[in-house]
Amino acid sequence: MKRSLRSWLWRIPIDEEVDEELALHVEMRTRELVDRGMDPAAAHEAAIARLGDIASLKRTMTDLGRKRDREMRVSIWIEELRDDLKFAFRQLRSSPAFTLVATLTLALGIGANSAIFALVDATLLRPLPYSSPDRLVTIWEHSASTARGYVSPLNMLDWNTRGRTFEKIAGFTPSVGQMVMAGADGNAETVTRQWVTAGIFDVLGVRPIAGRTFSAEDEARQPNVVVLSEPFWRNRYNADPSVIGREIRLDGSLWTVIGVLPKDFQLLGQTSLWAMRPLVNLPPRVRGFYAFQVAGRLKPGVSIEAAQKDLAAVADSLAREFPQTNKGRGVTLEGMHDSMIGTDLRLTSMLFLGVVGFVLLICCANVANLLLARATVRTRELAVRSALGAGRRRIIRQLLTESVVLSLVGGALGIGVGAAILSVAPSLIPKGLLPATVTLAFDMRVVAFCAAAALLVGLIFGVMPAWKATEFSSAEVISSGSRTTTGGGSLRGLLVIGEVATAVLLLFGAGLLLRTLVAVDAFDRGFRAESVLTMLVDPLGSKYPTPQSLQQFFDQVEAEISAVPGVAGVAWASELPLDFFDSGGLSYEIVGDPPVEESQRPRASDQIVSATYFSTLDLPILAGRAFDRRDTRDGVPVCIVNEAFARSVGSGRSPIGQRIALRPATSPQAKPVVREIIGVARQVKGRPDEAKDFVQLYLPMSQLISDDMFVVVRPKSGRAEALAPAVRAAISRIDKEQLVGVTNVMTLEDIAWAATGRHRFRAVMVVAFAALALVLAMVGVFGMLAYSVQQRVRDIGVRRALGATTNDVLRLVIANAAGIIATGAAIGLALSAVSGRLIETMLFGVRPLDLATFAFVTVVLGVTAALSIAGPAWRAARIDPAVALRNK
Amino acid sequence: MLPKTQNALLYGALDALILKTLARGPRHGYAIGRSIEETSGDAVLVEEGSLYPALYRLERRGWVEAEWGTSELGRRAKLYRLTDAGREQLAAEMLTWKRFAAGVSKVLFST
Repeated sequence: MKRSLRSWLWRIPIDEEVDEELALHVEMRTRELVDRGMDPAAAHEAAIARLGDIASLKRTMTDLGRKRDREMRVSIWIEELRDDLKFAFRQLRSSPAFTLVATLTLALGIGANSAIFALVDATLLRPLPYSSPDRLVTIWEHSASTARGYVSPLNMLDWNTRGRTFEKIAGFTPSVGQMVMAGADGNAETVTRQWVTAGIFDVLGVRPIAGRTFSAEDEARQPNVVVLSEPFWRNRYNADPSVIGREIRLDGSLWTVIGVLPKDFQLLGQTSLWAMRPLVNLPPRVRGFYAFQVAGRLKPGVSIEAAQKDLAAVADSLAREFPQTNKGRGVTLEGMHDSMIGTDLRLTSMLFLGVVGFVLLICCANVANLLLARATVRTRELAVRSALGAGRRRIIRQLLTESVVLSLVGGALGIGVGAAILSVAPSLIPKGLLPATVTLAFDMRVVAFCAAAALLVGLIFGVMPAWKATEFSSAEVISSGSRTTTGGGSLRGLLVIGEVATAVLLLFGAGLLLRTLVAVDAFDRGFRAESVLTMLVDPLGSKYPTPQSLQQFFDQVEAEISAVPGVAGVAWASELPLDFFDSGGLSYEIVGDPPVEESQRPRASDQIVSATYFSTLDLPILAGRAFDRRDTRDGVPVCIVNEAFARSVGSGRSPIGQRIALRPATSPQAKPVVREIIGVARQVKGRPDEAKDFVQLYLPMSQLISDDMFVVVRPKSGRAEALAPAVRAAISRIDKEQLVGVTNVMTLEDIAWAATGRHRFRAVMVVAFAALALVLAMVGVFGMLAYSVQQRVRDIGVRRALGATTNDVLRLVIANAAGIIATGAAIGLALSAVSGRLIETMLFGVRPLDLATFAFVTVVLGVTAALSIAGPAWRAARIDPAVALRNK
Repeated sequence: MLPKTQNALLYGALDALILKTLARGPRHGYAIGRSIEETSGDAVLVEEGSLYPALYRLERRGWVEAEWGTSELGRRAKLYRLTDAGREQLAAEMLTWKRFAAGVSKVLFST
């Protein structure tokens, strides 16, 4: 092959080749004929004549020649690649330490990136798992108080019938609730359930894997029907198809199972079954009941703007027809993907992507640095190759093959790292951060990403060193006989400066997010959320049919739990303080004030609590009194308001003693209940980043009862969850049957944790990546210094011999490192100052230009830099001039 | 000169004849043709229309390789040379030809 390679390299264009060859032929033939005595001109003609159809012959030859050349090019390319690969693997095997460090660095970088890619792919890139998802929109109702509000079922029905741009519009409840399912054997269990309207599965284009989904006929007949999720069907019914058509008992009524939906199908929240909520013969008051999240499927070719215009017109006409409820209400359309993923998650994904991208760049810089150091050592080898006739291009290609092989090995390991990260990721991701439609999967897309990233990365970190390594005069290098340093030093310094700057930028971001997390954790909720056990107690309706019997049951349970050793306080509440985002279920008017138009009445959310609620949660009563024994069913109806409510009463007026008229917000014409305000409680905040203060009303449980209540228990000391068995035992001593209805056992801290989950998740992830970046950057600093000390052993030895002290040597090494680190840090801090604003929306309690964070970053960098400098500096200080000068 | 029809018989054997000729050393296209004709005592006529395409085919298959040299007249000439693979191929073709010729002879000269 070697010879054919050479002949191929000297090849002339194919046309010329054919012409030359035939010309020679004709010449030789002519000479032969002339030698035989022919006239030269006649001989020439005869020679040409013998070639026959010259044009056709030339064409055949050119054709064959082209094919030959093409095959040869490919086979030579493959041959060279095989040679390069063989050589690359031999090189990598011959320096295992380098190979190990480089591949591990790349594996970390690529692995982290692949895991984040999976998140980005799930949230930003992949379409929703519904059919033709681009035609799906979420439709919100907007009003003066909210831009994206839930929708009243009657409005939704009118949009569906009057809108012209939609194939269908349907809805579902945004939250997943629970039902008690009674088994044939008398045992009961709680199952998760989401309410949907009949058309929802048609809108989403979901086909059942067994049975059918809800139809228009179902809606007209209003039966109790449910469809099951695939996991529930498989786990609970062993994927038995005969369950279709069977009746199951849920919350005491019979429901028919009519179908099973495909695996992984979910809306918002994970649920076991979907129950149909028929929307026929609804009373007019329901128009003010905003309960559904609404999805619509656009007709093909309709733009979202056109649909927006269409529904806005419908909303306008509804506002004219039903001014009491619909005045000032309009519609907001949003692509379903956008509404499902949400701005916050999108930003989080982008943030992570940026952060791991930087980490990968640092990895690249580190490996490039290693390659540069190695190239210096290999200068002689490369010079010899060059002298033997390999062109610069050829050598660069060889070196690039090496770096791509390196990065592909790193990428393969990175796939493993990514898979490992993704296998633990679900437990790290706070519940509710990812919508149920989004699943993190380690699939072929992630593998493809790894492969592409590895290839790209191999080229990125390989190009500079390869270019640099081939900048030499081979004669000079070979004749000098010693290892010479090429001009890689300044380039390596630049790379390390870049690494330090990047690490500083990431550290700064991590610092801001950590400060946010601290602020979020420390924020004043208005009460003491630490160590409070809660569970939902939902007694069976058949056993306690009247408010009195329910009250008696709850009172007995309270007394029994109070008697449990270690219990400091027990209380009841219809809602937990951190957990509800009720936009206001009651409208109120202050008795004696001028009447307010129905749609303009202020609203408050209400919470039924027992008298002990405030003391148990350490929720201060700021004025007036808490509920007590005076507030009986037959006594004066009373309530306690929160600070936001008190402010709404008007300045200069004490709310205490005012009487307010309360109506359900859904029935503005109902006869109001008048209650007297007896106290003002401290404002409770569910989430630190709550934009506005909720207006809240506390109603005494002794006057108004809900059929399911949360019990709230505070221990005297120790962990709240430790009390759970004792509390359950206490409940079962009162009524053993009711244990079925005891669910949602958790602590208020759990709920608080969930509310701050996304801050924690972001902070933890970015801190982890920033730490990784810092370590990598410091490895870079260390590597560069260690190498330069090694290169300068003789130099330092000479200095020592000439009388330089240990301090002089240390100063030499440290000054070199400190200059690079300080430059990197300065650039990093400047970048931080500019880019801090990019994550402003994710911050709480800290501003993007936070001085404490700047100080923190500087200290962390200083400490780690000192650590990474110490080793090489120590080695430099111990250089013995005698030894250094003897060894060449 | 021999009648053209005889070339039909030769067509399949041309490759083998080229390889055999090159086994004696590298030469250019015209010399290959002449060499075959001379060795066969002008019993075999090599037509340029088949010779050159055959050479390109053989080169493509890697049985011969070409390099530029200089002809007797000082002109640039493309010299063909037998490769190792070509040598093996020649041996195989010779064996095939021997069997074929023996078979044909048996039939033609049977009594």
